[in-house]
Amino acid sequence: MANAEERMEGTMDIKKSEVLQGTLDLMILKTLHALGPMHGFGIARRIEQVSRDILQLNEGTVYTSLLRLQQQGWITAEWGTSENNRKAKFYSITKRGQKQLELETENWERISGVIGRVLRLEGER
Amino acid sequence: MMTSSSGESRLRSFAAKVRGFLGGQQHDDEFDDEVKAHLQLLTDRFLQQGLSTKEAAAAARRQFGNTTLLQEDRREMQTLPSIEAWWHDLRYALRTLWRNRGFAMVSIATLGLGIGAATAIFSVIDNVLLEPFPYKGADRIVFPRIHGAQQSQDGGRQGYTAAEVLQFAENNHVFDGTTAAAEDLVLYKHGGGTEQFDGARVTPGTFEFFGMPALHGRVLQPSDYEPGAPPVFVMRYKTWKERFNGDLAILNQPLVLNGTARTLVGIMPARFGWYEADVLIPEKLTPGAKGSGSQIEWFFIGRMKPGVSVQQAESDLTVIANGMAKIYPQDYPTHFNVQLKKLGDTVIGHFEATLYTVLAAVGLLLLIACSNVANLMLARATTREKEFALRAALGARRARLVRLLMVESLVLAIAGAALGTFVAWGGLKLLVAAMPQNLIPTESVIELNGPVLAFTLCIAVLTALIFGLAPALQSSRRDLNDSLRDSGKGVSGGFRGRWVRDTVVVMEVALSLTLLIGAGLLMRSFEALRQVRLGLQPDHVFQTGLVLPADRYKTSEQLTEFVRPLLVRVKSLPGVIDAGESNALPPINFASSKMEISGKTPQDDWRVLFQNVSEEYFRVLGIRFKQGRAFSEAEVNDARKVAVVNETFVHKYLPNENSIGQRVRLASLESPADPARDAHDTREWFEIIGVVGDVTNSGLQVPIEPEVWTPYTITASGPLVLFVRTSQDPGTMMNAVQQSVWATDAGVALAFPGTLEDRLNKYVYAGPRFGFLLMTIFGCIGLVLVTVGVYSVLAYATARKTQEIGIRMALGAERGHVLGMVVRTGLRLVVAGMALGIAISSVLGRVIGNQLVGVTAYDPATLAATMLLLMLTATVACWLPARRAARVNPTVALRYQ
Repeated sequence: MANAEERMEGTMDIKKSEVLQGTLDLMILKTLHALGPMHGFGIARRIEQVSRDILQLNEGTVYTSLLRLQQQGWITAEWGTSENNRKAKFYSITKRGQKQLELETENWERISGVIGRVLRLEGER
Repeated sequence: MMTSSSGESRLRSFAAKVRGFLGGQQHDDEFDDEVKAHLQLLTDRFLQQGLSTKEAAAAARRQFGNTTLLQEDRREMQTLPSIEAWWHDLRYALRTLWRNRGFAMVSIATLGLGIGAATAIFSVIDNVLLEPFPYKGADRIVFPRIHGAQQSQDGGRQGYTAAEVLQFAENNHVFDGTTAAAEDLVLYKHGGGTEQFDGARVTPGTFEFFGMPALHGRVLQPSDYEPGAPPVFVMRYKTWKERFNGDLAILNQPLVLNGTARTLVGIMPARFGWYEADVLIPEKLTPGAKGSGSQIEWFFIGRMKPGVSVQQAESDLTVIANGMAKIYPQDYPTHFNVQLKKLGDTVIGHFEATLYTVLAAVGLLLLIACSNVANLMLARATTREKEFALRAALGARRARLVRLLMVESLVLAIAGAALGTFVAWGGLKLLVAAMPQNLIPTESVIELNGPVLAFTLCIAVLTALIFGLAPALQSSRRDLNDSLRDSGKGVSGGFRGRWVRDTVVVMEVALSLTLLIGAGLLMRSFEALRQVRLGLQPDHVFQTGLVLPADRYKTSEQLTEFVRPLLVRVKSLPGVIDAGESNALPPINFASSKMEISGKTPQDDWRVLFQNVSEEYFRVLGIRFKQGRAFSEAEVNDARKVAVVNETFVHKYLPNENSIGQRVRLASLESPADPARDAHDTREWFEIIGVVGDVTNSGLQVPIEPEVWTPYTITASGPLVLFVRTSQDPGTMMNAVQQSVWATDAGVALAFPGTLEDRLNKYVYAGPRFGFLLMTIFGCIGLVLVTVGVYSVLAYATARKTQEIGIRMALGAERGHVLGMVVRTGLRLVVAGMALGIAISSVLGRVIGNQLVGVTAYDPATLAATMLLLMLTATVACWLPARRAARVNPTVALRYQ
């Protein structure tokens, strides 16, 4: 139902969800860059661990993100065997993905810097 | 951010979708495996935390989220909508449409009729007017006309001497090819008797000019034109099929044509119809040689070089013609220019206007059909606003809703298109059957036109799609709560879209009235044409032209020696009441002469039509005598100088006088070579012995001319026509008459045999009838469509108002009141539409005016009748939903929502 409600609330919220989506993409790219090839479950665990439960997320959406990144050619996938001997798909970042990550990180830092400054300004008044 | 979608990234995701689409099932399975593995790992984790198996599985699912939605998201990202999804939508659409059979059937029928009628007519226009000729560069083929400054618009000389043709052909700078042909009446002698062919003598290079190879055998070659070459000829397809049953055995056989054995070397394809000739005989142009060289008999055509305009070509040829006018001044008017006409202009002429009228009508019809479909789709989709709002509220994406509606609209459109194609195919067959064959070029073969069909299909399908989709696009954009609230209330349907529907209905009514008025005018005009009094009784008359070998029939004595025994033979045939002879076929007589009346001062414009007839002529055709009597047998046999005149003659030239006994003289009957010719010679004067009632003699639409009849024995000139009055069906007389003719002289051929009524139908009534028939059909279809349109809009509006009506009735409104309210709503639209329709018609009146006979384009009776008809049908269309509204039970209506 969450999805439907979001859609019903109008244009503002759609943009918010897009930000969220992009953020998830960025986090996944960073995770793969930092820790090397991983499967979906591992990525979900890593994000859970890093965000310390602040970010509540349907783990399924990780897969949507992974697919999107794959389509853009920023990550690749390969079938392998997981720790508990199961067949699993392992994702790894590509060269283009690393470039994109640099670009996006820069972007993110700049924008969050700006937002931070703006918010501080608001507080000082 | 990541999602800042550059064109490149969109392209990549689309490429991925296509790959995924082609990849198929495999993706689904892989993804399922991945999700399953993930869920299993999560479950294991929760189990380790001490949850029960059931609780662990539930917690895992909760943390993972909705797998179905995820799968859907993935599919949407990774592949194009699958066949199954479409199939699912299709099944759903079919179910919905089945539940609304009425709506579906009306939409499909509307589309089908519009597409079908439009395609059929467009095909005819294209094949007859736009591209009738299959010849090389046919649209650049023209023929010149010497048009005198004093002549009427369509006047001018189209025949040339061989010398003139050669001048044009050799000295022009504007044609890349030329050819010429001359008429040749061909008598074909075979074992049983003699038949007549319309022959043409064609110049060298004719077949190269047209660029068409023979169907069987070969075309004429340069060597066939050499002196001493074996005589050959080529036959056209129609003649081969009809006269020789398409028998290939006659190819390369000699046929005796005009006394010469000629070998048939080729049969042309069906669409070859140059000069409308049955047989084509080679002849070289030889200026001045033989008797024929100096005769004005050649019809000349040229193909303009690409890029040359008609004006350029006309001025180029005018220069050549000016040169020739100096050499042959007697053949040219003092002031003239050369006009060029397109090849098709010889045949189509007036029929073109009829075809264009019909084209305009069918355009209107297509518009009405599209409006109707648009209205139906709009009305229906608007009633479903609530359904779509609900679907959107439950999470259906906009693309999904659009797809659903699109499938529904497509189902309707495709069914309509299929029906339309069928209607077009069948309609074209009917059209071809109804088409007056003598009014269209032989070369044009009317068939279903692919591009045209595609075009109309596109228009209709697009209409259905656009108007079917509009509400889906709208409903997904708007605030859903609004929509849910609004369509729940059932108060006088939302303002949105209502004015669109009303406008469409007004337009429809206007167009339909325009169509009806056009049809009504053509119908009245045709009626007027039918009521023109022919002045004779055409029923039970068989007629045929007789072609006599010119060498054996030079004098009136020779002619009489053939006609007398022939008439005796024919009269003795079983079923024959009487038989007579004349030199013209009603209702048009071309023979015109200057005339004088004894004792009156002759004036320049005393002209009459004249006919040479046998004494039975008036009897056979049922022409009535007003005064005096017909010729006696003796008078005809002795070639006595007696004459019969018509009433117009008396009114015009001998008013207030006793015409019997007056004497007239016809310049054309006097042979200029006669040495004994003397202006005062009594032998040249004809005594009037009878006056007959007027008989149409210049076509139905033209006033009757003064006419004089004389005994046929006076002169041997002119064609010969045999009339036979029968007691049985005159169509069965053909063989008996032919045998009688051949028994009298085996060298005489029949030309255009048939019943007089058929002839009149074909040459006089067919064109106007075709126009009025089609307009009437279109008018009726338009009327049906508009009735459906008015009904659907009103029914829809009333359905939306059910609750309002319930409240009104609960508050004491009478049934009659409600009835009146609904009918008034509808009729307001109808009246507005009719006003608009009258306006359109009065503008278009000028266009249709030139096709009307005996009725003006603003004929009050027609206007009144069509408006009444439309009003009546519209009232019925309004009354049906109104009655339903008046039957509303207030309690039910209020509880309804």
